[in-house]
Amino acid sequence: MSYVVGACGGPNKPFCKKEGFVHCSLRTSSLTIIVLHIFFRRLGSILSEKARLNMEVFVARSRLTLIFSLFALFSLSSSSLSSSTTELQILTAERRIDLASHIIRVVLTLKVQNDGTSAASDVLLAFPPAQAKHLALIQAAEVAGKKRKKSLHPLDVKPSNHADGPNGAKFYSISLRNPLGTGGSVSIDVSYVLTQSLEPFPVEIRQSEPQLVLYRDSALILSPYEIKQQTTVIRTPSTKVESFTRVEPSTQLRTELKYGPYEDQPSFSYSPILVHFENNNPFAVVEELVREIEISHWGSLQVTEHYTLVHNGARHKGGFSRVEYQSRPTISGVASFKHLLVKLPPRVHSVYYRDNIGNISTSHLRTGYSKSELEIEPRYPLLGGWKATFVIGYGIPLEDVLFESDDGKRYLNFSFGCPIAETLVNKITNKVVLPEGSKNPSVVVPFSVERRAETSYSYLDIVGRPVVVLEKENVVPEHNVLFQVYYDFHPMSMLAEPLMLTSVFFFLFVAALAYIHMDISIRK
Amino acid sequence: MTQSAKPISSPVPDAWYPSLAVPMLAVGLVITASFFIYEATSSRKNRSLAKELVTGAAASFFLGFGSLFLLLASGVYV
Repeated sequence: MSYVVGACGGPNKPFCKKEGFVHCSLRTSSLTIIVLHIFFRRLGSILSEKARLNMEVFVARSRLTLIFSLFALFSLSSSSLSSSTTELQILTAERRIDLASHIIRVVLTLKVQNDGTSAASDVLLAFPPAQAKHLALIQAAEVAGKKRKKSLHPLDVKPSNHADGPNGAKFYSISLRNPLGTGGSVSIDVSYVLTQSLEPFPVEIRQSEPQLVLYRDSALILSPYEIKQQTTVIRTPSTKVESFTRVEPSTQLRTELKYGPYEDQPSFSYSPILVHFENNNPFAVVEELVREIEISHWGSLQVTEHYTLVHNGARHKGGFSRVEYQSRPTISGVASFKHLLVKLPPRVHSVYYRDNIGNISTSHLRTGYSKSELEIEPRYPLLGGWKATFVIGYGIPLEDVLFESDDGKRYLNFSFGCPIAETLVNKITNKVVLPEGSKNPSVVVPFSVERRAETSYSYLDIVGRPVVVLEKENVVPEHNVLFQVYYDFHPMSMLAEPLMLTSVFFFLFVAALAYIHMDISIRK
Repeated sequence: MTQSAKPISSPVPDAWYPSLAVPMLAVGLVITASFFIYEATSSRKNRSLAKELVTGAAASFFLGFGSLFLLLASGVYV
């Protein structure tokens, strides 16, 4: 199973026979390297600025193919995917990539057939190392039934401990519900979310320019199995696509770019493509979110969230003209954003929005039965590279979030991710402060988080309150699911606080008594 | 959560906090006053330590709980 590259003669035909592959590819690769380098270096120095931009795109693409062909050379000696006794084949694969927002969502529909001799219980998915690093969430489901009676059964996906594939491809393995027998086939829907994968190009823009971004991927779906038929559809937010790599057959229809169908691709086939398009959707990224959830058994849950927000798109250069920004909103600052929507739980009270200077009054709160919406407007609009820090706090009645489970433990039911809509969080820290006297905290979260324990001291505390700290990186809105924190608490421990106050007052009375009863007079 | 989830709330309803705080503090202050009046009016021979301690305990009980409910009513959820 060798790594076939597009530069070696097109995606549909492996260029060289297996025996003479080394010599053949050595010759062709070295020739193409030399020729293309000289050609584009010369061209780059001659052409003008605007054409230079386009040429840089072509140069980038050619450099990619060169790099991959170089890697193909050096990785030939390295071991390919270790042969498993099961041989799976993908009959049809359809991939839909949604580039509308700065968080990329991909849906992959696979129909897998078992051609081997033994039953298969896992299906492997391969990702190039750059994508695997930015993969925020991956979910898979088995599709059973047809048309109207379609039902989805969620499957477990986890990083596989396979050795890395060619060029460092990382594997994820999907565990099937029932092992797939020989000759059997199963339909699987995989959806995954990629973050930080749109590069702004040009890297810096002025106030009146739109934001153009690059998306790098492959026209062929990277897979450790052979794919009989595959299509890739890329959806862009608007029809303004500057350029996209053409790998026949590829078409553009309004906002959709279609690559395919491609037939009979060998395993690990990869054809790098580049899509350069306009994306003015707000690139809102929260660099760090520290959220403190304080439970008080006397009736309220207090949440305090500290945000560091940044606009992660093309950086802003030149001056900022407020007059131009406000008078011509369709031309000026199209890639900037002013408003953010924060989704809060329904019965929320005492909401505040402030920063280091003080209260920020440009906010609107709409409470409802199923959810509350807080629309906040930072003190200034955010252009590329600009930051804003603020604090949002609110309280929730305790009976909405704290419950008692069957075995007598109490648990907190709260949502994990960032409540701001369509925002990526680089690092989230959730600190759950349990009341004094809680013991044995345990956490149930549907995905992997890092857990720590701390102690915090607050009002009327003697030994301190146990804090469960949960940290996660690369958090997307799909992570806004409920998590639970279980702990033991004896109801009598609640009396500790009033008894502490009572004992302080009693001590004062005893001191007064002692003073009155003491006889310190000199004269009898 | 398929298990039966019983929501937990405070042992004393939220709405009662202010109406509990004020009377309890008032009663506590009245008993404190009676304690100091007893101290001022009685002479050394007639004083009974038991009566002083009982008055002190009752006053501190009401003052302690009253100040707790005062803290809760004003939004400091301790």
